[in-house]
Amino acid sequence: MENQIFILVVEDELEVMDALVNDLEEFETHFPIEIANSAAEAEQVVQHIIDSGSTVGLILCDHVLPGKNGVDLLIELQNENKTKDSRKVLVTGQAGLEDTVQAVNKAHLNHYIAKPWSKEALHDVVIQQLTDYVIRRKLNPLPYMSILDAGRLAESLRDNPLTDH
Amino acid sequence: MKSGFILNDRKTILRFIQRAIDDNEELKAHVVKLKKGTIVFKQGEKLPFLYLLLEGSAKLTHTRHDGSSLDLVKLEPGHFVGLVAFTTGNASLTTCSVLDDVTALKIEQREFEQYVNDHPRLRHPLQQLMMNNMTDRFLKNVELESRMNSLNKELEKEGEELKNAYQQLEDSHQRLVHQEKMATLGELVAGFAHEVNNPAAALLRSSEALKENFVHSSKNDPLELMFRIGLESEPVSSVDVRNRMLVMQKQFPFVNDRSTVRKLAQMPDKAIEIIDSSRKKIPIDQLIQQFESGKLIHNIKVASERIANLVKSLKSYSRQDNNEADMIDIRLGIQDTILILSNRIKYLDLNLNLGDLPLTCGRMGELNQVWTNIIVNACDVLPKKGHLEISCQFEKPFIKVIISDNGPGIAENIIDRIFEPNFTTKNQGAEFGLGLGLAISNEIIRKHGGKITASNKKEGGAKFEISIPVKNC
Repeated sequence: MENQIFILVVEDELEVMDALVNDLEEFETHFPIEIANSAAEAEQVVQHIIDSGSTVGLILCDHVLPGKNGVDLLIELQNENKTKDSRKVLVTGQAGLEDTVQAVNKAHLNHYIAKPWSKEALHDVVIQQLTDYVIRRKLNPLPYMSILDAGRLAESLRDNPLTDH
Repeated sequence: MKSGFILNDRKTILRFIQRAIDDNEELKAHVVKLKKGTIVFKQGEKLPFLYLLLEGSAKLTHTRHDGSSLDLVKLEPGHFVGLVAFTTGNASLTTCSVLDDVTALKIEQREFEQYVNDHPRLRHPLQQLMMNNMTDRFLKNVELESRMNSLNKELEKEGEELKNAYQQLEDSHQRLVHQEKMATLGELVAGFAHEVNNPAAALLRSSEALKENFVHSSKNDPLELMFRIGLESEPVSSVDVRNRMLVMQKQFPFVNDRSTVRKLAQMPDKAIEIIDSSRKKIPIDQLIQQFESGKLIHNIKVASERIANLVKSLKSYSRQDNNEADMIDIRLGIQDTILILSNRIKYLDLNLNLGDLPLTCGRMGELNQVWTNIIVNACDVLPKKGHLEISCQFEKPFIKVIISDNGPGIAENIIDRIFEPNFTTKNQGAEFGLGLGLAISNEIIRKHGGKITASNKKEGGAKFEISIPVKNC
């Protein structure tokens, strides 16, 4: 499990989690998926991923959760170095305007997906966000050409030729 | 007691004077006749004459700054005209016009002293009459002053009443608006519920039909067994999934792909046993797919049932179809309310203690509004995992519903006012900050012949007690 880029899904309703993970399965060849039913569990999972030498590329997070809510979790993760660069997406049908404004301003929310989602829209968001992550972290884009946005990755390769990869 | 000197009867004095005039040619020459409508003098003029009215009548009119005029007094025989201006030497405050043809003794100001001296028979009656006039006016003044005072008081009272009436009007207007809103909401909900029921039913029926496609009653076929187990499987928490993934990786070391491991991790032992025993004959992917198909159909069924239940509660909660008073079980209303608010109270520690209740005559939709208002208020102040307790019991002849929380409670200085209309502790423009919730609740319970009270618990937190008398419709 070393040097992998994880997708973390935080959702408390098990059926909904099931459906989300099902829809994300195709990414798992390159981006292993981790799941958590609460913010507290998500924090542990993040720690575990970091400890094993991997990173979290994308967090998909529900808002209404037991204990700490999704927006607060994202704000906290934004303030920690290890997850500062992780792309953050809120997947919810319930966050009010105020919560969402908070998430945008304080958690640097990258995207908002309203429930119910469509598989195409979800895939689109995940591809764009993970592409952003790969480019920002200046990772070797070649392994991801087949699954992410190849055009943008190639462009970034032209701007930043690989050196020590 | 009448003194011989002080004649306070105007007519008697006038008779003296009339006689004196009749006896004296010089005085007679000073008697003038003025026709009806004649303006004797105008407001603002200095008066060179003083008139003593002998016959007829005149009125004094005061013109105000805004141009409107006010009739002040009607002058009758025995009255002086121009008395104030005459004695003060100031300009007249009034205009004098003749009402009925007047006969008057016209006395020139500067000659007044002389008249009095020249005609001793006139002196005393004139002085008496003047005194009498002054006293009259003073009395009138006192009377006016006191009338004005009581008028002012009346006006003040009326103003106060008007203010109250306006406030009441405003309140009932707001209540009407709220009622209208609730009625519209009810209609919307009823229509919405009806519309959502159709797709929900379609989902449910389709999932059942889909199931038939997989089931061929060959009980020993491992593929079909996997499907059936999938149909009955329950979702697994993320912690269990993670732990079981490690176990599965050991048990099936040849499975490399993480998605498959996760699927195995979510299967019950029965399914794992079947995979173990039949994977030599049937590809493992097929077995997993069968299980997943069963699980997906199960998920569709569970989700569509949830929709149907929510819709059912929404319908009975709003009771748009029937807001007539009916024999109702209050507990059902409380349960519907809780389901409708499940999103708000999802992570509260809810303690529901609904004892046996007799049916009673009431309006379910309205009572549900009361439970909603109180519960929503509690949710607004409770932290996550706050404690909410709802209980009901029958204390003959009352049904008693108690809703309490462990929040900050209600400040003692406002606790007496929370049922007043427009009383709110929430900021203006907040979602639920109309300040009508508890006032309307109070009104609804009152209409049911019951009572609602609020208090703070000794151990902290607010407590609402509602008692409704049991009766037949």
